[in-house]
Amino acid sequence: MNQKINLKEIERKAYTSYHQDGVIDIAIAIPIIAFAILIVLDRPGLVGVWGVTAVMFYAGAKKALTVPRIGYVKFPQQRTERINAGMIGLAILSLALGIVAFMQTTESGTPSWLAVLIENYMLTLGLLVSALFLIAGYTFRTKRMYAYALLTLVMFVAGHFIYFPLYYYLTALGILILACGLFMMIRFVRKYPKATETADA
Amino acid sequence: MTPSKTNDDELNAIQNINKIIHEPARLLLMAHLFVVESADFLFLQRQTGLTWGNMSSHLRKLENAGYVAVEKEFIDKKPHTTLKLTDKGRRAFKEYRKNMKQVFEDLPE
Repeated sequence: MNQKINLKEIERKAYTSYHQDGVIDIAIAIPIIAFAILIVLDRPGLVGVWGVTAVMFYAGAKKALTVPRIGYVKFPQQRTERINAGMIGLAILSLALGIVAFMQTTESGTPSWLAVLIENYMLTLGLLVSALFLIAGYTFRTKRMYAYALLTLVMFVAGHFIYFPLYYYLTALGILILACGLFMMIRFVRKYPKATETADA
Repeated sequence: MTPSKTNDDELNAIQNINKIIHEPARLLLMAHLFVVESADFLFLQRQTGLTWGNMSSHLRKLENAGYVAVEKEFIDKKPHTTLKLTDKGRRAFKEYRKNMKQVFEDLPE
């Protein structure tokens, strides 16, 4: 055992190992792809249902896939406070995103400042979704979320200038994140097989 | 300060090192439990890379010293054993860090 004892590194490793399973990526990709499909079906308001589905998937997958492989850990209160703050930020931004998306589909009787945001909806959505990824990256300390934020920004800014329907960009973004999540999940399952020994047996 | 006094201080600092924590595997376990609130055997095993038997024997020593508390609880109707540092264990670990820093700070270049 020639490891250097570095408490910050131990804490970082303990925390990030919980998010190397790709579950969060898949949970994020589900509502993005669902939103794209719902736009095609002209039912964008139903994205909330898929948001709830993604949360349920996240909780279920953590319990069924992650905990039996890397064990159970409870983090100190200051870390859970950071998660709570991040979750509140995510919820507020998701709400803003929902309002812009909804108004973009209705576009009636909107104030001028909102009309500007709606007119440039690709930029608005790009900024909001990027902010969601930045908050998620900060909350869960997962650096790849920052890469997703950059990818989103590049795609949506490009989408502002190169016209393709919104659902094209959402589908492409969702599939990229889903592929990344699935790749990580397969790697995680291979790296951590289900434990055969248990202290409770 | 005379040379003999300095040597005495260094000797004292080294003698004050907690030998229960100082063993590498136990130090690793203590360090991991120090940064979390509680964890189970599997989590500690994955993080430290220690074998099951080795880890059990070291955790028993830490439990006997009063540094680690073993708690049994039911999660989804299944028995689950979680481990956490006791207040005594946290204090001992902080003291150990302080003493180790002291030992190395006092060493000449």
